[in-house]
Amino acid sequence: MRSENSTIADGPGLADIQQHKKLMTVWSVTFLILFPLLIVLGLLMRANQGEVVKMEYSTFYSLMTLHGLGMAGTLFSIAYAALSYLIATRYVKLSVALGTTVYFLVVAGVVGLAGACLIGKFGAGWYLLYPLPFIGASWPQWSTGLATVSLLVLGAAWLVGSLHVVLALSKKYGGFSRLMGWAYLGRQEPESELPPIALIATVSLIPGILAFLTAAAFLILFLLQLFEPSLSFNALLLKNLLFFFGHTLVNITIYLAVGWVYVLFPEFSGREWKLNRVTVYGWNATFLFILFAYFHHLYMDFAQPLSLQYIGQIASYMSAIPATAVTIFGIIAQVYHAEIRWTATPLAFTLGGMGWVIGGVAAVVDSTIAINKALHNTLWVPAHFHTYMLAGVVLFILGFLYYLASPQESARENTRAGAGFWLFVIGAYGFLAMFYLAGANSIPRRFADYATMGLASSHQIGALLAQIAAAFVVLLLVGILGVFWGLFVRLIARRTPPL
Amino acid sequence: MKTDLFPLLAALTAQKFSGGIFLMAALVVVGLTTYLILTSRTREEKYAAKKRVYGLRARYFIGLSVILLVALVISLRFLPYERYQAKPDQTVTVVAMQWTWKMAAGSSDQTPLEFTGSNEISLPAGKNIRFVVASADVNHNFAIYNSQGVLVAQTQAMPGYRNELAYRFPEKGDYMVICLEYCGGPHTIMTGKIHAL
Ligand code: HEM
Ligand SMILES: [Cu+2]
Repeated sequence: MRSENSTIADGPGLADIQQHKKLMTVWSVTFLILFPLLIVLGLLMRANQGEVVKMEYSTFYSLMTLHGLGMAGTLFSIAYAALSYLIATRYVKLSVALGTTVYFLVVAGVVGLAGACLIGKFGAGWYLLYPLPFIGASWPQWSTGLATVSLLVLGAAWLVGSLHVVLALSKKYGGFSRLMGWAYLGRQEPESELPPIALIATVSLIPGILAFLTAAAFLILFLLQLFEPSLSFNALLLKNLLFFFGHTLVNITIYLAVGWVYVLFPEFSGREWKLNRVTVYGWNATFLFILFAYFHHLYMDFAQPLSLQYIGQIASYMSAIPATAVTIFGIIAQVYHAEIRWTATPLAFTLGGMGWVIGGVAAVVDSTIAINKALHNTLWVPAHFHTYMLAGVVLFILGFLYYLASPQESARENTRAGAGFWLFVIGAYGFLAMFYLAGANSIPRRFADYATMGLASSHQIGALLAQIAAAFVVLLLVGILGVFWGLFVRLIARRTPPL
Repeated sequence: MKTDLFPLLAALTAQKFSGGIFLMAALVVVGLTTYLILTSRTREEKYAAKKRVYGLRARYFIGLSVILLVALVISLRFLPYERYQAKPDQTVTVVAMQWTWKMAAGSSDQTPLEFTGSNEISLPAGKNIRFVVASADVNHNFAIYNSQGVLVAQTQAMPGYRNELAYRFPEKGDYMVICLEYCGGPHTIMTGKIHAL
């Protein structure tokens, strides 16, 4: 992987930066198109649950599957792209060719998934819970095959991309222990500084690499099963593998996004944000929690070993400590009495931090086994992770895109947030509130509608909340289309400065 | 538990408790964020401001750790797993299959496929019931809802495993059995009924 010029382990050159800019623009425009389409799928689901529209079960579940996989994949991809971009343009040379390959593989994977779900009606849910795709499925086997291969392509793209970033960082900063910031734990100040984004990328992408390898193993078992139907794998084992992958993917999407908040916020606050002993301890702890928290997805599998259930709750609880005490307090230290001009980027970052914490509270509540038995697989679960994603990660992404879309990528040119931005925020919280209310009322998740539950009150409440949610989603969609149009125009108009 | 002494506490389901805690915490977070944004126009010398924030952080760290630790110690005593279950008065075998339930009194040595049962069953109220839950095909989830639509107990039904769920029906009435794991197109119609007598 060593190309001639990267042997000079120095910073990136100007020509290189221009190319990364172009690649980032392509990623951004793709995101601006894909994201609203995936929201429309969410809107259709809520409309069906609210009995405003009526669709077949098979249609609902294939839309749900495409929405879930599409959203999780798109957000991870853009988070990865933005992180790589900041690293490549500021710290370490990254390969443009490899970045471009990752882009095309991701696009191919997404197109494949769309084909499997929209044409093949593949509807196993994002988690393809084994053995569902092979027993009693309402869709043809080829669409299971296409979805599996598409996911393998996505996984391969992310694996290669993550490996590249970690290896490039390691070449420049010197190995795993350096990247984990252990030099900061000694008595003396380290001789050379490690930028926070390098630590965060390492802490996120190494679990990511393990997760992608796990997913590959899982998907290969799927392919074997497709070709040899008499095979049968252990359902609990495959569920563990799957949730290790899914949980890690979504979890590190947040952390990657946090990575660029560390880089960019200081430009708006005028206060530096560097590593120190506390941040390094915090992120090292996070590394472990990312790996072990996923057990909380299997609390209701009573056959899972008891010790793993304990580990799940303890790791989930503990992960709240570094996340808030290090990163959220970092944001507070950036903002507090800093005389900030509240343009779109710092505003989106601050509100994104808020959404992250709110989603985190809901997550910690639900990661309590004694409570999980009342909330597991109710709409409380989508409530919490949609808060993380929509009110957290998406705002972090918006903050980044506002920054990227300014002509020279500087804090001074950052625009103010317009009405569209606020419509988005209001719509998002309204939509999320309905998920929470539904969850607190025991309304199940992954229910195409609530008419056949045999409980009139649940049917009524569930449908009503879904209708209100759909109305908020319309607000949100109008808002985000406004924001995206503005971003699109500015990204396209942005002239790259002459060499 | 002296629930009659605390009628309010008795009416407090785990769902309402969670919703309440969450709502309060969310309001605090929104309030703090608003405060932070509104006061950010004042300028304070950055080292002084940082010092104040980090001083607060130390206290926050200790406070949060204590709260989480206490919550862990308390909550880890209320687990639904076998080791924590009361001695059963009666056993019921439950088999989930696409897209219905098979339930019958007593334990069974039959395979989930062979097992016969009905998706409607009568059970005594006020007794400790042990449900032995298995699946004949894919993953399902055996969930019990009371007549007010409150989810009161659940466990996964997994192919190849038997999960044991304990529940005592607190009062007489009809309870719904609902599948809480997506198991294919007609997942939402996979219901059953328990009459607690
Ligand atoms: C306004 C935006 C969004 C809307 C309206 C929306 C709506 C929905 C709805 C209605 C469901 C099905 C809930 C159920 O009944 O179980 C769902 C599931 C899901 N959503 Fe979203 N969502 C939005 C944004 C997002 C984002 C940003 C993500 C990012 C990861 C995301 C990821 C998922 C996932 C993973 C699922 C679960 C799919 C499954 O169960 O297989 N959504 N969403
Ligand atoms: Cu089922």
